[in-house]
Amino acid sequence: MSKQPSQTIGTDESTRSSNSLLSVSDLCTYFQTDEGVVKAVDGVSFDVQSGETVAIVGESGSGKTVTSESITRLFKSPPGFIPEGSIEFDGEEVNDMTVEELRTLRGGRVSHIFQNPQGALNPVYTIGWQLREAIELHQEVTKKEANEKAIELLTQVGIPEASARLGDYPHQLSGGMKQRVMIAIALACEPDLLIADEPTTALDVTIQAQILKLLKSLQEERDMAILFITHDLGVVAEVADRVVVMYAGKVMERGPVMEIFETPSHPYTRALLECLPSKGNLGGIPGSLPSPIDPPDGCRFASRCVFAQDECLEGPQPPAYEAGTADHVVSCIHYEPGGNPDIVLKSDATVSALDVDQMGVGGENR
Amino acid sequence: MSVDTDPTTQSANVRKDADSVTFEDVNWDEIDGTARGFTRTRIAWYAIMGTYLLALLNDLFNRFAEGAYQRTVAFITDTSRYQVETPGFIPGAGPAEYPLVGEIGGVTWLWSLTLLVGVFYVAIPLYQNQRMTAYYWREFKKNKAAVISLIYLAIIFAIGLTVPRFMDPPEVEPVLAYQPPVWGSVRETVPIQCVGPVSGGECHGSWAHPFGTTHQGKDILISIVYGMEISMQVGLIGMFLTILIATTVGLTAAYFGGYVDEILFRYVDIQITFPTFFLYLLVVYLVGGSLFVMIIIFGVLGWGGIARIVRSEALQRREEEYIMAAKNAGAGGLWTMRRHLLPNVSNSVITAATLVIPGLILAEAALAFLGLGDPRLPSWGETIADGRSDLDRAWWISTIPGVFLFMTILAFNFLGDALRDALDPRQGGGE
Amino acid sequence: MKWYIFKRLLWAGVATMVVLTITFVLMYLTPDTRIMELEFQAAQSGTDPEQARQAAETARGMDQAFHIQYIDFMQNMLSFNWGWSDSRSEPVIDALASAIPYSMMYGVPAVIISTIIGIVIGLYSAVNQYTRGDYVATFVAFFGISIPNFWFAIILLVIFGTWLGWVDLLFDTQASKIDGEWALRAIVSWENVKQLILPMFVLMTASVASMMRYTRAEALEYVESDFIKTAKAKGVSERTIVAKHIFRPASIPIATILVGDILGIVFVGSYLIEVVFGIPGLGYLSFDAIMSQDTALVFGTVFVPVFVAIIGNLAQDIAYVILDPRIKYGDR
Repeated sequence: MSKQPSQTIGTDESTRSSNSLLSVSDLCTYFQTDEGVVKAVDGVSFDVQSGETVAIVGESGSGKTVTSESITRLFKSPPGFIPEGSIEFDGEEVNDMTVEELRTLRGGRVSHIFQNPQGALNPVYTIGWQLREAIELHQEVTKKEANEKAIELLTQVGIPEASARLGDYPHQLSGGMKQRVMIAIALACEPDLLIADEPTTALDVTIQAQILKLLKSLQEERDMAILFITHDLGVVAEVADRVVVMYAGKVMERGPVMEIFETPSHPYTRALLECLPSKGNLGGIPGSLPSPIDPPDGCRFASRCVFAQDECLEGPQPPAYEAGTADHVVSCIHYEPGGNPDIVLKSDATVSALDVDQMGVGGENR
Repeated sequence: MSVDTDPTTQSANVRKDADSVTFEDVNWDEIDGTARGFTRTRIAWYAIMGTYLLALLNDLFNRFAEGAYQRTVAFITDTSRYQVETPGFIPGAGPAEYPLVGEIGGVTWLWSLTLLVGVFYVAIPLYQNQRMTAYYWREFKKNKAAVISLIYLAIIFAIGLTVPRFMDPPEVEPVLAYQPPVWGSVRETVPIQCVGPVSGGECHGSWAHPFGTTHQGKDILISIVYGMEISMQVGLIGMFLTILIATTVGLTAAYFGGYVDEILFRYVDIQITFPTFFLYLLVVYLVGGSLFVMIIIFGVLGWGGIARIVRSEALQRREEEYIMAAKNAGAGGLWTMRRHLLPNVSNSVITAATLVIPGLILAEAALAFLGLGDPRLPSWGETIADGRSDLDRAWWISTIPGVFLFMTILAFNFLGDALRDALDPRQGGGE
Repeated sequence: MKWYIFKRLLWAGVATMVVLTITFVLMYLTPDTRIMELEFQAAQSGTDPEQARQAAETARGMDQAFHIQYIDFMQNMLSFNWGWSDSRSEPVIDALASAIPYSMMYGVPAVIISTIIGIVIGLYSAVNQYTRGDYVATFVAFFGISIPNFWFAIILLVIFGTWLGWVDLLFDTQASKIDGEWALRAIVSWENVKQLILPMFVLMTASVASMMRYTRAEALEYVESDFIKTAKAKGVSERTIVAKHIFRPASIPIATILVGDILGIVFVGSYLIEVVFGIPGLGYLSFDAIMSQDTALVFGTVFVPVFVAIIGNLAQDIAYVILDPRIKYGDR
């Protein structure tokens, strides 16, 4: 199990951590199914400070979406449940909140945008109705004020002739426009944290860039933190301040974006970066994700790791060891105090050193 | 659905016809890729169908050779309430006599055809394709209610098919009227003469009439056993006719498209607008309510919904590559439909058709209850109607047959629901 | 949209004409039982059956050419001149007019109540899928769909009428009237309501069950959808999500079954139920007409549900375009 940063990394960090806007530690989210308990998220820790952008990166099935949905408990429950871990938002424990308190949080201080704008808007209501609903839920406004606010929001997200668009139904808008409407809904109550779950994946490349730019500028205007969920390292480089790399329900590496890209320390992060189209390896990481129901002992990534040793297959996932700077931690046995990180850092070995016949699933599109 | 063979067919056939092993060793399917091979089952099927058709033609010829019109009317209304022998009527030769079975009526003709098709297109393929059967069975048996339903229906079917062959139909015996069921009792004054023991002014039931008797003294148990066959006939023949028409219309419309589609499905639109029950009611009222007529009406008027399902499924398939490939390979329309479209829609058709059965059984019972059926046939609805005016003194006449009716409909509903889960890939709660 | 509604109206007109034409052809082709009876009587009393038949046919205009009879028939039908009821010695329309209020008196509340109950239970089942409540509701629904309502009515009459004596076996036709006139005060009087409880209950079993099954299936399509997650993320309460975000899109297909199936179930159900309970409504009238071979009245009583179905279909199609912003008007 990875430990909380405060435990691993000095005391000055722990004070910082308690001031975090969002502090997730040892979060587990499981799902009861016919085949057994699916451990979608299995001990995940990270922080988000006000105004910054944190990106959670990982391939499909790594648990990043479930992590993001755990923060305001959006996943379906039952079968989903949180057996342990804590989620602190602005000093308050979310897991202890009543349904009522949770509802105030959702869409109030924490809001979401989702991957698929096609389905995320209710097809039988106008976008004006859906915007007003978001506004009226958290603010005491008259209908007229809500309408004005809706127009203002639509203008802010770059929808031309906003007042004329209020009466439109979702099917009358393009995908990019729908995502803008989703963003407007998310921004309706001036949230402190915006959780964006792959907001650009379903969109055309040109639209993607526009939406990213829009998010960036809105963030600057409002001093809003963004938790950005993505599998696309290119997007990460563009938007993130800090990065959390997830694999099979665990955090593999966590650190400032520059460090992650310049000195990727976990073998998994390195493999992911190698799979960027510019690096030439289009094959992906050989092998596949371990079973989420009955995960193997040791490091979750061991079976696909070129640096794996016998110890990697035993015990729990290695704790978060410091790698270079205090803010950059890695869950890998080679970074143990007294270990030799150079085995990974100085190695020329690439993912293709493993059996490349079986094309894996690393860094792919869904 | 098809009697097509795979390797297991051959072994199955070897077991069945051990005396012709040499012929069996040739697997025609492996030699002839078009699957036109004459397997044992197929030969048997053609032989039986040939015999069936010859016998049917002979019967029809005997019936209609002379005085065709009058005979037709008499045939259709043969058991209806206004059969009138008008003077000047030219008698035809009458229905043909066959060895062993004697005369064969309209319902029996349809019933045997339905059973034959059931054997050759359901039972034998299931037996031959054991892996598929095992798979379906695994899926199916997850549903406990459906398994119990299947057992119940199998029992009803078996009794209904066999017992009436050697047991006389219930007879009117006014002396034995109003006997209570074996576990019940009734005031001594209600029955004319109590068969069971009498004590304290109460007439108790006896094993001579386990379910009691009606106001005419008909034994209710025997009526119920006869009713089993009638309900099965209504449900299964009705389903057979429905499937036959619905798939033909649906596939034709989907395959040809254009005007053919437009005309056929505009008609279906109208047919579906009609509340089916009232359509049945009207037609049965006009032409008379023999069981034969009722079944034909059910089959001919109730297929609209399934035809729509077939059409939409087939339309999706039609555009798929293997259909195109078959067309390009020179396959004709009928061939493509039967070989490529039909197997692909069969699952949804079977599922939908199973859910048609309870509706038909209920409709027959309701019409019989309203007095539109053949009063001489002891269908469940008829028996329920018999007791309607005696609710205050003989509660068992109406209630006991209803239990069977209810259970049978419930069982078919459970079965259809489970089949949908097991067979239908599109699965969803509603249609 | 106007054009679409016009087209649907036209289509309803065509359907009506087709129904009437089919009926006419059926009537034309099948031998008239009353004439056959006359022939039979004539033959028995020694007169010429052929003569008797001709006389009867002339009296009924049946010796006219096919197309003249057809036009006559259509004109009569469309002008609500539905013929003379022999058994009741009054015009068919009058017989219908006196019977229909009895059917509506319990049919309308039954439809409204069962729609509401069915939708509520269906939504509950969908939101709580695979819980105990859902299983119970589903199981009860299977019973409701499967139980033959005329038999169920008999069972209830035996229990509550014969054994417990709580209700009368005979229906009091005057309980809903004051001095022979329909009166609201009498309709809602306990005496009248008491005798309508069982018929309504039986009528509602099947319609609640189908409504519930259908609502559940439709709502399930949306329970897991992305926009429900959006609504949740906005902070919408569970109840509002069900009422606004799930029910509203599901209500469009539900409206279909309301007209298509529920109306059918209610008409067929009430038909048989009236026979059992002896309520002198449309169903009982029809049953009486069948028993006394009163063909004109049989047709009249069957036309009512058929036309209601046609109008219902029309209303449903129009409701569809109003409720669903996505529909293309050109669609079938």
